Amino acid sequence: MTLYAVEGLGLTLGSARLLDGVSFAVAKGGCTALVGASGSGKTMSCFAPFGLAPGILSGSARLEGTELVGLGEPALRPLRAGVGFVFQQPLTALTPHLTIGSQLAEAAGNRDRAALAAMLDRCGLPAAKLDQYPHRLSGGERQRALIAMATAHEPSLLVADEPTSALDAGLRHAILDLLDRFREQGKGLLLVSHDLPLVARHTDRVVVLDAGKVIEDGRAADVLKHPQHEITRALIAASPRLDSPAPILPKPGAPLLSATGIKVAFRRTLAVSEASFDVREGEALALVGRSGSGKSTLARAIARLGPCDTGSVTWRGQPMPVRARMKPEHRRRLQPVFQDPAASLDPHWTVAQSVEEPLRHLFPDLTPEARAERAAAALDEVELGTAFAQRRPSELSGGQAQRVAIARALVADPELILLDEATSALDVLVAGRILDLLAKLQQGRRLAILAITHDLAVARALCHRIAVMDAGRIVETGDTAACLAAPQSQALRDLVRAG
Amino acid sequence: MKMAAVLLAAIVVAALLLPPLLPWGYAAIDWDAVRTPAFSPGHVLGTDSVGRDLLARTLAGTRVTLAVATAAALVALVIGTAWGATAGWFGGRIDEFMMRIVDALYALPFMFVVIVLMVVFGRSVLLVFLGIGAVEWLTMARVVRGQVLALRNRPFILASEAAGAPARAILTGHILPNIASVAVAYLMLTVPQVVMVESFLSFLGLGVQEPLTSLGILVHDGADDMDIAPLTLIVPGFVLVATVVCLNRLGEGQRSRMAR
Repeated sequence: MTLYAVEGLGLTLGSARLLDGVSFAVAKGGCTALVGASGSGKTMSCFAPFGLAPGILSGSARLEGTELVGLGEPALRPLRAGVGFVFQQPLTALTPHLTIGSQLAEAAGNRDRAALAAMLDRCGLPAAKLDQYPHRLSGGERQRALIAMATAHEPSLLVADEPTSALDAGLRHAILDLLDRFREQGKGLLLVSHDLPLVARHTDRVVVLDAGKVIEDGRAADVLKHPQHEITRALIAASPRLDSPAPILPKPGAPLLSATGIKVAFRRTLAVSEASFDVREGEALALVGRSGSGKSTLARAIARLGPCDTGSVTWRGQPMPVRARMKPEHRRRLQPVFQDPAASLDPHWTVAQSVEEPLRHLFPDLTPEARAERAAAALDEVELGTAFAQRRPSELSGGQAQRVAIARALVADPELILLDEATSALDVLVAGRILDLLAKLQQGRRLAILAITHDLAVARALCHRIAVMDAGRIVETGDTAACLAAPQSQALRDLVRAG
Repeated sequence: MKMAAVLLAAIVVAALLLPPLLPWGYAAIDWDAVRTPAFSPGHVLGTDSVGRDLLARTLAGTRVTLAVATAAALVALVIGTAWGATAGWFGGRIDEFMMRIVDALYALPFMFVVIVLMVVFGRSVLLVFLGIGAVEWLTMARVVRGQVLALRNRPFILASEAAGAPARAILTGHILPNIASVAVAYLMLTVPQVVMVESFLSFLGLGVQEPLTSLGILVHDGADDMDIAPLTLIVPGFVLVATVVCLNRLGEGQRSRMAR
């Protein structure tokens, strides 16, 4: 029986047609997933009928028989009470200064402690969390708390917008399983995601959107096995799988970087302890582990971009100076690329200025013309045309900004680049293209790579070896294929099972 | 917001351009027109108790007040930004030490400090500038430090460090341009504060010296004569209030634009 039906939904904002004839339905106890790349209109399709998106609506959206399109805000408000919303960012969707209990009580309209504890229990959280503040909870626990809040008033429809994108791979299926459980009570579930293979395991129907239009609609298994549309195929292919054939990686050469006994502590907590590893010329090493395992801290410590308490780093057998003593000739060797492309470029600088920055400081002898030439060559290498040189970060998409960040890292001809979750803030299609680009650079330049990631598929696509981190220690190292086939540590087993 | 900008611009333009066009200077005494009412020939707003043209004096006072306020706010901007940026950038003990100095200065009754400075070094416009500016930088330093702390671990700052940029280049190339809009908003909120302080000092007789005048002195003199010549209080009072309100309005507008 149909719980929520959307037919021919259109949304116009100014002169832009954001949605055009979108139709889908959610059955009672069923789950429908809206899938598409960023900007395809999947979030809009979810929120617009409930008056939660700007623009002018047309078409029809019926929740339990009640038409939503055309209703004003006062009429929509009671109807929204029949729907629970789960948002993408569990880190920002909770108010930091209120306990979980008081936020849940507000959502439930009920202060009875036993009832609140039961709501948390239903979402897999102990009652003790009621008295804790959001910062004490991990990302996965926060998402569980948010789901508890979204379901507190027993809505008949649950709308979840990318509920797992901000989470570790290990937590994704656990959260989706939790959402699945609400279906057994006859609730409908509407899921928004860009990860088609991930959601396909949990939904009945998949609706693929592109540029505000439905391009494919069918049973989840059918869409995944026999995609009809090119974009659907791209979405499936872009999500890197562990069972794809092993890539051919360049042969590693002489030892390049070697770190021994690295230890980093923040106040009294030990973030990294006794970590040692080495990277050879042209070799790629993946530092994998769940969020908070200390992999970023370790990488920054050896790159001399973060604190490092004890331990030594050598480069081709020569000791690397401490952070404050790094000279241009040391900085030239190693360049970083960070996770959030928007935050890794100065908003006031043009692309050309950002890409030329390393040249200005690391090669002060270059003339301005030579600098501009090398910057243009670097932009060309990351497949960005000269038209981008004068743009500012606000005029770039996430993928373009990440390409600029890669060009900035490459322009000084480093022998090793540090990829700090370089693809995890990007949507799957874009991340796939960035991975292809990195693989090409790895082959072409014999670039050594230190890749920090929680995504094993990234490790598998680029890296010769992996080092697994858990709670600040390296618990397992070895050849990528061998480690993934037979994981020795609990941390890697968890990651493999999740991926 | 727009109204505030227009009114403020009108006051500033009038104070800068109008005085040479008036028949009477701000210090000239018209012996034939002591305490004339408004709209008499030659004196549009009348004269004060010794026959000086009220319009000319108000415009001259506005000039002095705005000049003192702008200069003092700029002093505050320079000291505050340098201090806050240094503390925020180096962090740790240096930050701790520098910000405790700010806290200690906050605790001083700053009006008292300015008055003591005046008494010790004698009255001069320069001292008024410096005295006020040296006290007003405290808030600026705190604001700038907070901004620098928020920026300093952003990836683009780390990338700049990896690009071999020395601390000076990072501060001038990345940090300062990125805090400029916030600093400007606080600068615009500092100016009206300084206008008030300057007027208050002048009202107490510690500001600029006669025959040079400021809005505070005019309000003080006007208050003595308010029963017989209310305009001598109302005109400079109105200009003072309008300037402060407009500047506050613009500063708030700028700040909330950034908060978005």
